[in-house]
Amino acid sequence: MTPWLWFSIRPVIASASGTSFGLTYNTLVVVTGVAAVGFAAGVVGSLALLRRRPLVGDAAAHATLAGVALAFLATGRRDLPTLLVGAFVSAVAALATLVFIRRVTRTRDDAATAIVIGVSFGIGLALISGITARGLPGGGGLEQFLLGHTAALTVRDAAVLAVVSLLAVVVVAVGLKEAVVLSFDAEFAAATGWPVGLLDLALVGIVAVMVVVGLPAAGAVLVTAMVVIPPVAARQWTDRVGRMLPLAGLIGLAAAVAGVAASAARPGLSTGPLVVLSAAAICAVSFLIAPQRGWIARRWSAAVLENQWSRGRVLEVCLQLSGPDGRDGVDPTAVMLRAAGDSWAGRRTASRAWQSLARDGLILPGGSGLKPRRGDAGNRWQLSNAGMAMAWERRRRIEAWNHVLDEAVESGRDWLTLDLPDPVDVLGSAVAPATSVRRAPLPVATPRVPESQD
Amino acid sequence: MTQPLVEFHDVTVAYGRRPVLWNVDLTIDRACLFGVIGPNGAGKSTMLKAALGLVPVVGGYVRFFGEPLARVRTRVGYVPQRETVDWDFPVTVTDVVLMGTYARLGWFRRPGRRERELAAECLDRVGLADFAGRQIGRLSGGQQQRVFLARALAQEADIYLFDEPMAGVDVRSQERIFAVLAELRDAGRLVIVVHHDLRTAAEWFDRVALVDMRLVAAGPTAEVLTPINLQRTYAGRVELLEELGQAVAERGRTP
Amino acid sequence: MTLDPNLTVHAWSMATAAAVSASCGLVGGFLVVRRMSLLGDAISHAVLPGIAVAVLAGGSLGGPFVFAGAVAAALATVWLTQALHAGVGLAEDAGAGVVFTSLFALGVVIVTLAASRVDLDPECVLYGILELSAFDRVPVAGVLVPRALVTAVVVLALVSGLLASTWRWQMFTAFDPAAARAVGVPVTAVTTSLLAATAVAAVAGFEAVGAVLVVAMLVVPAATAELLVQRMHHVLFVAVGVAVLAACAGWIAAWYWNASAAGMIAVVLGCCYAVAVVVAPGDGILARGLSRLQFSWRVACEDRLAQIWRSCEAEDSPAVPLPDAGGLLERLAGMWLERSGRVNRRDGLVTLSEVGRREAEMVVRSHRLWETWLGRHADLPADHLHPPAEWLEHHLGAAMRERIEAELPHGESDPHGRTIPPESNS
Repeated sequence: MTPWLWFSIRPVIASASGTSFGLTYNTLVVVTGVAAVGFAAGVVGSLALLRRRPLVGDAAAHATLAGVALAFLATGRRDLPTLLVGAFVSAVAALATLVFIRRVTRTRDDAATAIVIGVSFGIGLALISGITARGLPGGGGLEQFLLGHTAALTVRDAAVLAVVSLLAVVVVAVGLKEAVVLSFDAEFAAATGWPVGLLDLALVGIVAVMVVVGLPAAGAVLVTAMVVIPPVAARQWTDRVGRMLPLAGLIGLAAAVAGVAASAARPGLSTGPLVVLSAAAICAVSFLIAPQRGWIARRWSAAVLENQWSRGRVLEVCLQLSGPDGRDGVDPTAVMLRAAGDSWAGRRTASRAWQSLARDGLILPGGSGLKPRRGDAGNRWQLSNAGMAMAWERRRRIEAWNHVLDEAVESGRDWLTLDLPDPVDVLGSAVAPATSVRRAPLPVATPRVPESQD
Repeated sequence: MTQPLVEFHDVTVAYGRRPVLWNVDLTIDRACLFGVIGPNGAGKSTMLKAALGLVPVVGGYVRFFGEPLARVRTRVGYVPQRETVDWDFPVTVTDVVLMGTYARLGWFRRPGRRERELAAECLDRVGLADFAGRQIGRLSGGQQQRVFLARALAQEADIYLFDEPMAGVDVRSQERIFAVLAELRDAGRLVIVVHHDLRTAAEWFDRVALVDMRLVAAGPTAEVLTPINLQRTYAGRVELLEELGQAVAERGRTP
Repeated sequence: MTLDPNLTVHAWSMATAAAVSASCGLVGGFLVVRRMSLLGDAISHAVLPGIAVAVLAGGSLGGPFVFAGAVAAALATVWLTQALHAGVGLAEDAGAGVVFTSLFALGVVIVTLAASRVDLDPECVLYGILELSAFDRVPVAGVLVPRALVTAVVVLALVSGLLASTWRWQMFTAFDPAAARAVGVPVTAVTTSLLAATAVAAVAGFEAVGAVLVVAMLVVPAATAELLVQRMHHVLFVAVGVAVLAACAGWIAAWYWNASAAGMIAVVLGCCYAVAVVVAPGDGILARGLSRLQFSWRVACEDRLAQIWRSCEAEDSPAVPLPDAGGLLERLAGMWLERSGRVNRRDGLVTLSEVGRREAEMVVRSHRLWETWLGRHADLPADHLHPPAEWLEHHLGAAMRERIEAELPHGESDPHGRTIPPESNS
């Protein structure tokens, strides 16, 4: 990780200090502060994603603007800690309003969130524009909280951000087991005696803290992205919670540092959009190349499966066309047409399957073992002994499978929930290619679970 | 006088303000396989959830071993219906079974060697020892149900509450699950099961309660599952109760 | 005749804001009902790169090129979200969150980098330029009209036209997409057209109030209307009304307090919603509080009457000593009962008048009928029958009593052996 960090700091240093490789203490601390924020945002956001409420910070984030303005108006001070405290208070107020609307009115949940987002942001915008228009001393620059601006961070500010972020991470680490149970099976957690309502509140609270702490880096409009995108990216790479959280943290860290560096290299660009774009880039790459869950991996394993099925079909057709004693030759074209059905794509896969079978020596060209046929000058192939054995084995397994299904249907149960082995395991292995590829099973589709009744 | 294991005293349960279960009075005083039977939507699951504090009780109370649930949490185990879980969640089978030990561990302590050994043993008892490291989405339906069973075993509770453990499970898995339940009963635990199938209920349970928005009858299976009681439960006299529930919810409208 | 120049500026600006708001309110009606508020939020953010690219490529802000870019961006958002859901198994709200924040960030970067070359101010992205819109005028039929107003009116016409022409389909799909599909309604096309309308309205809104507040204009009017009225026609009507009101009031407030018009419009919208939450008939806080009070009053009166009647029955005499007063509500009830002639008090004894007696008997009848029903149909010991009946006696009306009685054998007495008073036909 160190080379990457160095690589991203260089432009910052070069432009900030005017000398290349002169590592000013200030710059380093600021970058570290922002990196800590990125890390913590990724970790905390993972919890929210697991709890299936990834956008819970959105309402809080948009409300922070009003808090910043109010803090300035109330105290006349412009230092970061004061403004962030104001931001936190308004974030909490927005979340409380959201809960109130959901409990007391008929308004739907998603509409309630949108209302709080829009109106709270409007209040913030009205206040900030009012402050700017009146030219209140020190009021200019509050606008930087809209889209983020790290160049103005002092060392003390960065230190505050870093400390709060680290605290947040420690809290998550300590309460991880509780958070996981809560997210996975809230009813079980409640039945075990844990105060689910309080835990949820703690989760939302810590997300609100991260949203506030992320304001200088990303601004009110985009800070939710810092909490949403890294966890989504991290989820693609791993199936274990223990690895997902640190990975999300690292991705958040990298995105934050990259964004800050890019914005230092190009003054005039707010940091927020750059941080978000960095995170989005990592996320897009994750979607593509992650093993097992990535798009490429899934297409690959789907292709492998298709090939296996197709080989099986071709073998079956060969067996059928080989006659009662198996010594009639088969014409490749006829076999492929029959195995493929009507589609062009089917024929392509059938042809690939044929070649793959030939490579493995399961079907052989010509041969003295074939019965002579009148008027036949064409290309004739036959199944080898191994190929014959494989085809018969496949038939046997399909019959066994059908038998199991019949039994299930008779017993009247929904067969999808039966305690049955994976059909691909049963059938596919009988015709797997010689060089086996590690098959990634596709995740089971999950039904959308309705929210619990309030 | 020893305390009954479970006591429902005049329990009325409401969703929002609408009562869905009326004045249930039930006492269970010995370890057995206890079935809660009734038509769909009759409030059987609600009864269980109310006992566990998952759904608010608007009248009466529920006691375990003579105490409110909060004091004896570690002695009561719960296996919910399977659908309430997100199968894409990044946890393994072992992680889920370990969750059963969390109640005894308390806040902030991590499961240690003893807990892991217990989890492995419970997985073995339900026949899932080979699946310990698998992510839970990669299991079949019957296997998923058995994971939750293992989690319940890991709770080492004295009273178990099962919500439709046999729903959507094939016959062979059902029998396997029932065998584990019977083992628990033989070991001296009370096992309360919400069940939907009358035929197997008559075979499996020692005692049953017939529920249809109110407790119709409760006691030894043979005595309770009589034609009259079944008629009173399944032939539906509940439009009255539903209308009343609606009236209470609207608070003031008199039908 | 010279008009005060300020007045015309105000008038034009309010008209523009109102037109934009009305379009958003109309579209928002369907978005809210179909639980697509999040999608509305996403689209209003995601149109930014579409607009930015279109403007960069030479279109003018408000021209058809820009609308095309916005619609393309909106559809791309939806497509991407669904592709992520299908291809990578990502939950829809998380996917939407990833997509629209990324697209919005991209849009801001494009706008900022191209700020020198292009007529799009980075500020405009978040604040909107309603304040300046009145000064950029184009001739329309000989009159100089703000370009933004022209765009807004065109958008309003487009959106209204679209919704009016596909009205029945939109309604059907909104309430039950599965049934609509089964009947042959082209649900996908209907939804896509709604999303396109959202994008178009978002463009108009974007120019007026900036990207983020468009979501307020989309969702709040419809949500407010839903609290006040029931039927969809009325909801849309009220939504447009609220939208226009908020636009005008917001503009005036912004001018008065020297703040951003976009912000003030959102604030006024919030106030409208808050007011609706309080005063909504039936569901509003006021209404609910009132009905609760009414109910408690009735319970207090009925309890007192029944208490007196039971004392009379127990002591078998028409006059009994004054019962103890409870809290404030009970004492007020007692006073009212005497005032209204249901209870007569003399020398420390009370008697029930004819009216009072009949009402008391109905309460006691409800109570005892319910005890009897419970005793027969539920497995409850006799001493557990009283509390539920105590609670329910106030909820049973004549119709229910008749039904309960129909299920009991004739002439039955309650589980405690007392007679059930007969129904009186007063």
